[in-house]
Amino acid sequence: MLRFIIRRIVVIIPMLFIVVSLTWGLIRLAPGNFYTGEKKLTPAIEKNLREKYGLNRPWYVQYGKVLWNIARFDFGNSLKYEGQSVNQILFRGLPVSATLGLSAYLLALFVGITTGTLAALKQNSWIDYASMVLAMIGISIPNFVLGPLLVLIFALNLFWLPPALWNGFPSKSIVLPALTLSAIYIAYIARLTRSGMLEVMRSDYIRTARAKGLSETQVVFRHALRGGLLPVVSFSGPALAFLITGTVVVERVFALPGLGNYFINACFNRDEPLIIGIVAFIAVTVLGFNLLVDISYGFIDPRIRY
Amino acid sequence: MRNPKSGIVIGYSSRIGVAALILGVSLITAGCAASGGNHVFFGKTDPPRENVLRYVSGSEPESLDPQISAGQNEARIYMALYEGLTEYDPKTSAPVPAIAERWEVNKDFSEITFHLRKNARFSNGDPITAGDFVYTIRRGLTPEVASSNAALAYYIKYAEAYNESAVFVFDPDSQTFLLEKDFAGVEEQPTAPASATGTTPPARTPGPPLSSQPVESVAAEYPPIPEEQTPDADTPFHRFMHSPARVVLPADDKGRKKALDANPKLRAAVAGKQFLPVKAENVGVEAVDDYTLRISLAQQAPFFISLMAHQFFRVIHRNTVEHFGHAWTDPHNIVTSGAFKLEAWQPYDRLVVARDPMNWDASRVKLDHIVFYMLQDITTMINLYRAGELDAMYNHTVPPAWLEVIAPMKDFMDAPEAGIEFYRFNTTKGPTKDVRVRKALNMALDKKAMADWRHVQPLTAFMPTGIFPGYPQPKGDPFDPDKAKHLLVEAGYGDASGNFDPEKFSASEIEIVTNPDGSNLPYAEFIQAQWKQNLGVTIQIRIMENKTFQAAQAKLDYKGISRFGWSADYMDPFTFLGLFYTPTGNNGTGWWDPKYVELLDEANRTVDHQRRYEILAQAEKLLLDAQPVMPLVVATTRWMKKPYVKGMYPNATTLFPWKWVYIERDQAKWDYGVPNMSE
Repeated sequence: MLRFIIRRIVVIIPMLFIVVSLTWGLIRLAPGNFYTGEKKLTPAIEKNLREKYGLNRPWYVQYGKVLWNIARFDFGNSLKYEGQSVNQILFRGLPVSATLGLSAYLLALFVGITTGTLAALKQNSWIDYASMVLAMIGISIPNFVLGPLLVLIFALNLFWLPPALWNGFPSKSIVLPALTLSAIYIAYIARLTRSGMLEVMRSDYIRTARAKGLSETQVVFRHALRGGLLPVVSFSGPALAFLITGTVVVERVFALPGLGNYFINACFNRDEPLIIGIVAFIAVTVLGFNLLVDISYGFIDPRIRY
Repeated sequence: MRNPKSGIVIGYSSRIGVAALILGVSLITAGCAASGGNHVFFGKTDPPRENVLRYVSGSEPESLDPQISAGQNEARIYMALYEGLTEYDPKTSAPVPAIAERWEVNKDFSEITFHLRKNARFSNGDPITAGDFVYTIRRGLTPEVASSNAALAYYIKYAEAYNESAVFVFDPDSQTFLLEKDFAGVEEQPTAPASATGTTPPARTPGPPLSSQPVESVAAEYPPIPEEQTPDADTPFHRFMHSPARVVLPADDKGRKKALDANPKLRAAVAGKQFLPVKAENVGVEAVDDYTLRISLAQQAPFFISLMAHQFFRVIHRNTVEHFGHAWTDPHNIVTSGAFKLEAWQPYDRLVVARDPMNWDASRVKLDHIVFYMLQDITTMINLYRAGELDAMYNHTVPPAWLEVIAPMKDFMDAPEAGIEFYRFNTTKGPTKDVRVRKALNMALDKKAMADWRHVQPLTAFMPTGIFPGYPQPKGDPFDPDKAKHLLVEAGYGDASGNFDPEKFSASEIEIVTNPDGSNLPYAEFIQAQWKQNLGVTIQIRIMENKTFQAAQAKLDYKGISRFGWSADYMDPFTFLGLFYTPTGNNGTGWWDPKYVELLDEANRTVDHQRRYEILAQAEKLLLDAQPVMPLVVATTRWMKKPYVKGMYPNATTLFPWKWVYIERDQAKWDYGVPNMSE
């Protein structure tokens, strides 16, 4: 087990190196610079800017600096936001994205697993059909449509909830974004739970459990759910990583100061240190959560041993 | 100021699928119920309980350092935090006294003396003196600060040289500096008027500006001032300014060699001389005493005073900047000079400013707080405004698709903007090299129809209409497809019988290149359709991502036609006409005419306001005749403010001096429609 974990952690390093190098190269390929605007700068002013930010140095020096920065977990200063370090921005944006992502995640798990289990237990009943139709709708409506629709109903017609902005947690302002963000995950989790449960409920060990004379509640909660939720676990690990590292569309529509908003603007602004910082952070988080998922398999599924 | 069609609209309106239809049914009932209420205003009209204005400043400010950031999103915040020598008038955007109580201009607009009020203070209580302005301007020009706005100060003597880290040439033998007038290159001195045509009035002898000529006394340089004796002393610095301009050369060897190669006489003269770097102390700003600031310009610039309200010239606190370096704008370090001071800043979320009791005009400031929200998505802004969580918005926040609903409302604000939309022609290659082709393309577009369709004003000349009262605007060519075809035949695209032949016209050598923001694409499609309909030629549209697009434009790397917009840096026609003052920079067309430059120079030497406008109008006519650009439309500002917000007017810049804004609780005094602009 320990050897497995160490091996996986060691693999993260070359992965990160590849991700960062690719990102760095792609930024180079994109035309324009962080100071390029419609108003053209005089050559002298452009030269001043390039000197100030070290863009006049050879590429290998700049590339080396990027790698050295990452080795020290210090991504340098943002080019666009004068005097702000990338680490500062990460630490400021992450709590917002994480709060929102975690709320959406817990909501999705709770609602998704409940409906999925109910649908599986009452297969071919109206509960099953209704929840699977809703799940289909949840999967097909993109969140850039769902968000504005929810705003229209709950903020502009009923005036129950604010249409945008961030007021911390807990507050009314998190309800609509969390709902928007979780919709598609609720749908996926419900479907995964349902199919997983259907399969497990027909397996031999469930029959054994029933034959032992266990009550139906015990069968479902102690035996069936453990096996039935395996697909949900492998789906929701990376999903959590993506949820808490920021979601571009929802953060934009609801004007939330999270990482996703920073990321999309950093790309538009060609803010190299910020882009690399966020990409590296997301990469590490995703790799980390994948590892967690693999480890948790060992606990959930008795068939898997490391 | 750059004008990339402010705001980015995420296109969730474009792809509402079947799924939305299902939910839509339930919405129709809900929607009907809600819209039944308030038809006069858009959304809620309950004033906030406190004296606070909730405004949207646009995308995240790059910095709270007014000399670093160039955008309007930052300008809106700087208007609260920093004050300059002058301030924008809330209705006309013309300069009005702020920290400077009054100013005097010398006889030819090449030197200005500002008299500062004695009670101006920074937010920490320190007095604001002329020395602070000297520091501010020198600091903004420092090469290491690398301000992208520095070029705005280049009108000041030796400012450009200092910002470019250039050198003077010093002769150790005679202890003198080499002077520009002894080595004037051909291009430096516009030689009038051998080439002048009948329509161009002969330029006056283009001598150096008064600020570079020796004067007997300061009083002799300025027109007589009736109310009081001029207190300004002559000083060694003043005499230095009034000595003839020194030769300025690039500091790096490569640049200097290039400059010297172009001027052999100078190259011979610099041998054995010393190169002394231009220093901050050489820049033409001088604190004559604590409350008198004298600025010497390198050229005559009648528009200079209207620049003084620009963020680049707003005063900053020297000790704070020098002590904290980068971190001086951190909320716990920052010292400001405006009517409001920073209270809280949560990046990407909100920035709160509070009334500053230290401000000299604090007793007249009515708002206790302003909350700026950093929002980018226009739909989000409209939603917040409608729900009563925003009190006002900035320009271009009512997109064309919403106009039908919002324009009839009494809180809709609109005015012609000091900004224009136009297409550039690449005059260096392809069919658009021929002026007849450029003129034909311009004439084959029905600009009025296009403007009506987008609810804006058509632009036939180059200057935005109605922004500069008394400006005798020349007329561009009218819509005339027949004449357009005729011109194309003249340009060699006719068939045997002398009719225009679209087959012959090399439409594939031209593209309309545009960035996708705002309405740029609908415009391009409209124009494409017009040319198809009126000329029978199909010109392709090429969409480029913003930065890619701008990089291509800067290098003239486009085929035929490319989109551009420009909004005024200061309220003077020169901010528009100056685009073509140099062949490089923001020109982007490849067209450059010394005669045009000569006219602009002459205009800026002209003291009489109306006469100056006439000369500028001649320059504009010359520009229109050469047609390196195809003017399209004048933008209109289009924003909303709640009726209880007073002191905000639909002006041409949509920049508001916040100290005059207030919340009116008496419904009888609310604004129903656009407030009176002439009072």
